[in-house]
Amino acid sequence: MKTQSKLYFYIIISAILLIIIAVWSLNTGVYDFGGKSAFEILGKIIKGDPSLSLSDKYVVWDVRAARIIMAILIGSMLAVSGTGLQGLFKNPLATGDLIGLTSGATLLAAISIVLGGHFKQYLPEAVQFSLVGISAFIGALLSMMLVYRISTSGGKTNVVMMLLTGVAITAIGFSITGFLIYISKDEQLRDLTFWNLGSLAAATWTKNIILTIVLIISYFILLPQGKSLNAMMLGEKDAQHLGINVERLKKQIIIITALMVGSCVAFSGTIGFVGLIVPYILRLLFKSNYAFILPLSAICGSILLLTADTFSRSIVEPSELPIGILTALMGGPIFIAILIKFKKLL
Amino acid sequence: MIKAHQINYKHKEFHILDGVDVSLEYGEFLAIVGPNGAGKSSLLSVLANEVKSKQKILFKNKSINDWEVKELSKHKAKFSQHNSNDIPLEVKDVVMMGRYPYFDAQPKKEDLEAMNNMMYETDIFHLKDREYNTLSGGEKQRVHLSRVLAQLQNEITHKLLFLDEPLNNLDVKHQYKALEIIKKFTKKANSAIVVLHDLNLAAQYADKILLMKSGKVSAYGSPQEVFTAENISEAYNFPCTICDHPITNNPMIIFG
Repeated sequence: MKTQSKLYFYIIISAILLIIIAVWSLNTGVYDFGGKSAFEILGKIIKGDPSLSLSDKYVVWDVRAARIIMAILIGSMLAVSGTGLQGLFKNPLATGDLIGLTSGATLLAAISIVLGGHFKQYLPEAVQFSLVGISAFIGALLSMMLVYRISTSGGKTNVVMMLLTGVAITAIGFSITGFLIYISKDEQLRDLTFWNLGSLAAATWTKNIILTIVLIISYFILLPQGKSLNAMMLGEKDAQHLGINVERLKKQIIIITALMVGSCVAFSGTIGFVGLIVPYILRLLFKSNYAFILPLSAICGSILLLTADTFSRSIVEPSELPIGILTALMGGPIFIAILIKFKKLL
Repeated sequence: MIKAHQINYKHKEFHILDGVDVSLEYGEFLAIVGPNGAGKSSLLSVLANEVKSKQKILFKNKSINDWEVKELSKHKAKFSQHNSNDIPLEVKDVVMMGRYPYFDAQPKKEDLEAMNNMMYETDIFHLKDREYNTLSGGEKQRVHLSRVLAQLQNEITHKLLFLDEPLNNLDVKHQYKALEIIKKFTKKANSAIVVLHDLNLAAQYADKILLMKSGKVSAYGSPQEVFTAENISEAYNFPCTICDHPITNNPMIIFG
């Protein structure tokens, strides 16, 4: 009972921190509201004040607030997908970008952008609209199944195989995406560059609603699995003896992480390393207790990505730094730190 | 308790288990003994429903495949021979895993009680805040023993415990202590199937002995019936003499 209240304590603390960062982020930017702060404008929007100028409303509500919410949703899902994959593969290096899920998703998203135009008219309207998203999900799912098949046998993961499969998928994705960039038209090119660099600049409320639905479905299934992921550390057979349906759990993690990574890639491109950084920091505090790190990574992922995004759009004002640069700058050293620790175990 | 008839288990064309019959009553302590590669661990895996075999295994008069996984975990538990070396958690968290079938989000009072009691019994309570990965081999074994015992702390009568070489890496005191705990468990109308290497300990604690060789049962019965010089020399391909234990009067096996 003591441990549980400890969990709630950390959840509340980190949620408060997230709100503070969101408030700071809302008031950060180059646009001049004519002496007023962004909060006054937000207050007016909520009250429905008619004296509000359209451009003020647009900047606060449709640009900044939408982007903040998107950073929160994407960061949260990237971190949880990383933690979930690490539980499945029983290794802190398993994350969507390192094992090739992101590349697989980007590849199919790119294919659907460039080639989609040719057969788009034959598809039903709902599918047309979400073609990129669905392709990204399929790409992530296929890579996930490939990696799992190759690197895992008899419930044990070969870490080297896991990472090398990721390298291979990334290489294939890189070459085909390169080819697509070569043959694509101007407008498509802009889209493709966006997927490759990753950015939250294209946030809209429609996208946020779709992401929220994905997030709720995923967390409903994944977040209560902390105990089961702990038990998986004993080995699959022993987890089964503890009454856990291991096969079902593995399928759930594979599909849900592919869904989350796919949606994130479809809406914000490849933002790397969030799934590596967040669980790493949480593990320093809570060991590998998934009952803690799974729910906490949902909030801490948001904190990380929102902070990084706010910096990326305020450091070089009025221009903007690609957010992937910041996350990679943090993620790279952590990757090396995990490798060094891992080497000691060998 | 558990009944299995003519178990066959093959890996490629090699018979690991060949026509093994097992039947266990309530309150019985069955020791499976035999040389390396005789199929002891495989038999235990088949009985504990880890590997699917075509033959029907009846657990409490119901086919083990018809049991719901979660319900089954409250009736039986298994201690595995190869426990994971890398579990980056504290000892008490590992023991608490044994209580996972009983609570959803937060451990209840009885879960914490079961955890603490079992840590006392297996003599690891002083290690409860240590990180599992820093323990010695024998201490890790005791942590898992504690976890498996905590899993079966409930009101259900007639529970079954599988243990695959639970005494590995344990010092003399803890070997005896572990066997005492298992014996105490079977005294309460529960049953245990234990793979053991030390024949003298098996003779001292087990009610029934199953001697295996090359995937077949070569002798089955009480320790007095199974532990004869012919049976053992034949199974292990090694000479031995049998005499009476001076204190317990159980058979005592002296090799060489």
